[in-house]
Amino acid sequence: MNYPIWELTLFGGGLTIALMAVFHVFISHFAIGGGLFLVLTEWYGYRQNSTAIVDYVKTHTRFFLLVTMVLGGMTGVGIWFVISLINPATTSILIHNFVFGWAIEWVFFVAEIVSLLIYYYTFGRMNRRQHLILGWLYFLFAWLSLFVINGIIDFMLTPGRWLATGNFWDGFFNPSFWPSLFFRTFVALILAGLYGFLTATALKDPAFRLRMVRYCALWLLAPFALLVASTWWYVQALPEPIRAMLTQQPPELLLAIKIFLWTAPLLIVGGLIMTIRLPQSATRSLAVLLMAVGLCYLGAFEYIREGSRRPYTIHGHIYSHSILKKDIGKVAQAGLLKNARWVQHREITGQNRLAAGRELFFLTCASCHSIGGPTRDIIRLTKGYNSIDALAARIGGLCDLNSAMPAFPGNAAEQQALAAYIFEVLQQREKPAAAAEITPQQHEVPPFDPAAAEYVLLAWNEYGMHTISDSDSRFSLRPPGNTIHAMLIKRGARPQVISEGIDIHYTVEAGSTNPAGQVEFWNHAASLTDREIPPNTGPTGNGTSGLMRPATDGRTFSATEVPLAPYQEGGGYLPYPLVTFAAVDRASSAMLATATMVAPVSTEWGCRNCHGGPWRKAGSGLSPETADNILGVHDRYAKTTLLRQAGEGKPLRCQLCHPDPRDGKGNPKGLSLSAAMHGFHAPILKGRGADACFFCHQDGAPHGATRFYRGIHNELGLDCTACHGVMEDHALSLLMAEQQAGKTAAARRLALLKPVGVDQPAQIKPRQAWISQPDCLGCHVDFQPPGSSTAFNQWTAGEADLFRRRTDNMGIPCAACHNSAHAVYPATNPYDAERDNIIPRQYQGNPYPLGANKNCALCHTREMKEEMHHPNSLTNFRNVR
Amino acid sequence: MDPAALIPSPDPLQVPWGWFQFLLLLTFFLHIMVMNIMIGCGVITLVKQLASPAKSHALCRDLSTKITYAVAFTVNFGVAPFLFLQVLYGQFIYTSSIIMGAFWLSVIFFLIAAYGLAYIHKFQFDAWSPGRRRWLLGSSLACMLLIGFFFTNNLTLMQTPAAWPAYFRHPGGLFLNLAEPTLVARYLHFMVAAVATGGLFLALLSHFQKELAEEERRARIKNGLAWFTYATMVEIAIGIVFLLSLPKPVLRIFVGGNWLATLLFAGALVGSFYCIKFGARERLWHATAAMTVTILLMILVRDLARHAYLAPYFHPADLPVAPQYSPMLLFFLILAAGLGIVAYMLRLAWQSAKEVRQ
Repeated sequence: MNYPIWELTLFGGGLTIALMAVFHVFISHFAIGGGLFLVLTEWYGYRQNSTAIVDYVKTHTRFFLLVTMVLGGMTGVGIWFVISLINPATTSILIHNFVFGWAIEWVFFVAEIVSLLIYYYTFGRMNRRQHLILGWLYFLFAWLSLFVINGIIDFMLTPGRWLATGNFWDGFFNPSFWPSLFFRTFVALILAGLYGFLTATALKDPAFRLRMVRYCALWLLAPFALLVASTWWYVQALPEPIRAMLTQQPPELLLAIKIFLWTAPLLIVGGLIMTIRLPQSATRSLAVLLMAVGLCYLGAFEYIREGSRRPYTIHGHIYSHSILKKDIGKVAQAGLLKNARWVQHREITGQNRLAAGRELFFLTCASCHSIGGPTRDIIRLTKGYNSIDALAARIGGLCDLNSAMPAFPGNAAEQQALAAYIFEVLQQREKPAAAAEITPQQHEVPPFDPAAAEYVLLAWNEYGMHTISDSDSRFSLRPPGNTIHAMLIKRGARPQVISEGIDIHYTVEAGSTNPAGQVEFWNHAASLTDREIPPNTGPTGNGTSGLMRPATDGRTFSATEVPLAPYQEGGGYLPYPLVTFAAVDRASSAMLATATMVAPVSTEWGCRNCHGGPWRKAGSGLSPETADNILGVHDRYAKTTLLRQAGEGKPLRCQLCHPDPRDGKGNPKGLSLSAAMHGFHAPILKGRGADACFFCHQDGAPHGATRFYRGIHNELGLDCTACHGVMEDHALSLLMAEQQAGKTAAARRLALLKPVGVDQPAQIKPRQAWISQPDCLGCHVDFQPPGSSTAFNQWTAGEADLFRRRTDNMGIPCAACHNSAHAVYPATNPYDAERDNIIPRQYQGNPYPLGANKNCALCHTREMKEEMHHPNSLTNFRNVR
Repeated sequence: MDPAALIPSPDPLQVPWGWFQFLLLLTFFLHIMVMNIMIGCGVITLVKQLASPAKSHALCRDLSTKITYAVAFTVNFGVAPFLFLQVLYGQFIYTSSIIMGAFWLSVIFFLIAAYGLAYIHKFQFDAWSPGRRRWLLGSSLACMLLIGFFFTNNLTLMQTPAAWPAYFRHPGGLFLNLAEPTLVARYLHFMVAAVATGGLFLALLSHFQKELAEEERRARIKNGLAWFTYATMVEIAIGIVFLLSLPKPVLRIFVGGNWLATLLFAGALVGSFYCIKFGARERLWHATAAMTVTILLMILVRDLARHAYLAPYFHPADLPVAPQYSPMLLFFLILAAGLGIVAYMLRLAWQSAKEVRQ
């Protein structure tokens, strides 16, 4: 923000620093341990009176001199150069706070060079005692250099009290100073052994070679126990948040942690093998190989150390994008472009949006991310995002899902501009294929003669929309289908609910009767549900037509999980197939009544907005590519192996671990699927109102291919948040219920969310997904016209109070007269305006709730004076069309 | 675009700026002396290897052994002034370094190459043919000269924020400050000074090489002083061009606009004439003293020129101070101890060499 950015693109800042740093560190530690190796080996040679050993040390000294001075010394300066180019703000802080630390280190550096040069050039020409003194002095100064640099390096990870005091000594002798010093000292000794192998294996005399190789192996192996102990101490000295983060092995560091843990035993085994008498060519090869392993070991350690510090370059003080922690809120509010010095675009306009996005990229991303390069390639990492909006959302939630990332320090317009630059310029992408086109449909309204008809057959479905995942070869959210209900009422002055002596048949309309030909659920049913299920049959045994079963209330009939898919046999996407019902007298087989309604089912998830991949079929659905990306992300974060399992033909249902409160099955410690999904994604989608809902629950825009929110409330301008609250509050309510249930995983997610509709999280009432829902009576108090326009935080007490379960005073289910949630009468269906209103159209000739406009005669065959069903039922419908 | 708006905010100092100024000038003097020896020895050795390889074989071998030391200490003595420069002028030097980032970082690679090649040249001096040696040394020297050119670019760029908006045309770090009017003269001024110092170093080295035949030793001293004298003459000519290429506000301070700057500049000019005089008369120690004083004065002149360049924007005295003296005290203690131990080690080396000679 303060400095210009060196636009590195392909290499990226991270790689450029890493290449220089790892190389330098591998040599500079050798320069310390190797110094001790020289003087002790020389002394050993004198003790043994062995000219061969002393000659070996002399040869090794030349190698040591060239490696440490030419490569080590110069790359040390190189680190300084490179960090000031990539991260000048942090470098400036380090320089200004530790200027005399650096200056002291420079004195040691001078003494180091003088002693080493004299040591080498006087080898064999100076008396032994004095020469050994020079050797010891070299080692002392080399180690003192480490002492100083160690303080500054560890300051960046654990600045400790310096954050409050700004005091040199507080920063230098920081919490991880001592364990790190010991750790690095032991590493230095081990490296002395590794480098020693290189020269020892070149010795010509086999016996002497073996002796010296074993001697070097001792250097490699002896400090290992101390190294492990100091590693443990190091970890213990870290502040709790960093230690906890390491313990969780975040995906960003997982590979480095694995390399660090695996290369240590490899070094031990390699060192032991070296002690065996082997051909020279083998030991030479192994020596080189062990060097590579050692480089990986130290490289992994440094990567973990630097990774533990992220998203800061100085922990708790300055972020990797060079913005001070104390400034980030202010900067984000005012806008980064307004605060940055080295930009040309202060205001984002339609014309400069990509150019401004480019500047934002280099200001905020380029210090770590390359463009098309081998490390943290922004093109690869953002490949999955299918829209600018999705990418902008992810940018807004960067720090919440990835502990290594700092918060984006810009405003919403800057998020969009950055996303547009990445999407349109770097990805060279255009707006992806939208969801399926809506193909207009038609329906027929079954006949009903108000004067002569004896029966009224009511029908509704359990969920106003049942969105299934058709990614069955990878995972399943739900089996394809919906549950339908019906109730037969015998009309009369005293209407009767008829449940005895009748059968109610249901039939899914032609074109939607072969869901097994459209989705792969049945191919994987055994893995997804633990049992084989015949094609076109639901998990409870129902087909696309059949007999409904009497429900436990003794009044209604149900067909649970009727197999449905939103794809038509002739092609095309139709999420509103019709189901026809026929009530038949069992004894006489006489047809008593018929009805038709929609049985909504959708596959339109917005997962691909962020997880990439095409639509699976006909402009909807979860493609294997999208599903694989989801599983990959899940595996990274939750350390599962779902992707591999799916690849092996063993896809799972999500509820196996994320229980569904409706059936109580699944891992009792796991967050419910709703809580997990909303809790995980809420940080990304925060601050987006109802748009956040559209991101996932359909194409990503308010106008997808399903548009399942089609009831009267939509027409009245109420969006999802009116009942459910905004994403943050919605997720908080679900997570708090999980936390109350003792599920510890909720805490991590809760910590990332701040309430929007209320001041404090404590003001949000916890609710269990699917069991407690927004209560209609929260707004419609006592069934009266609404007193407010939000039902958020007014949850139904339990399952029996749900709209889909509740009945009126006469035992008629709410949904029987008002239709299912999200499609309450009068609804407007995007495919066929009156498709959701067929039943009221059939019985009343209007789209309003059954009995509206005082139409009691529908069942009672006469006018009624009393509001028997519920208060305010004997009125005219307010929102007439 | 207002260049002043591009200058980053600096960080506070721990002690008043004068301390850093003193340390910067002192350590820069050490650096420039060794750097001069490094480049100067390189140029002289290469010229001799090209001109008369057989005749100058021994001399070239002697110089080649010194080049690697000079590289080591040039870098080492460069670290300290670069540190103090960052403390006082970090917001300028970081910015200019980034603007020419690719070239600036390449300094490290050229440095490794220069150092490595110098070592190979030294270790293989007798084993390799004159032709190969010339290539080795020539490559090493070319790297060193290139590094010098990049340094000149950076240190001119850091003090001319008006040139910084070039960043917006070259954000990839592939910018050199070639439009800077003083660039070539300034660069040559440093490099020719290096040759002069290299010549004097050759004379001084030869003076102490008692193992050489007296005639050879005298010939070398004479030759070294000749390099010193002629290079200094060229240096004065280049210096005049350099002076005249300075922007008027900067030039003005050396021609009466600022009495201290004028006095120091005049002193340096006089010093350089004395360098020629003593060099021509083959008065080694007088020439050495004249050169040391001249270089010290030129360093002060250079510093005042930088202040004049940056005067519209900044002076180190403007920097905020959050006092913490104990680290500086410790530094001075350790510096004293370190110098003592270095002296002890040098004494050991000296004694050892003496014993070997005996």
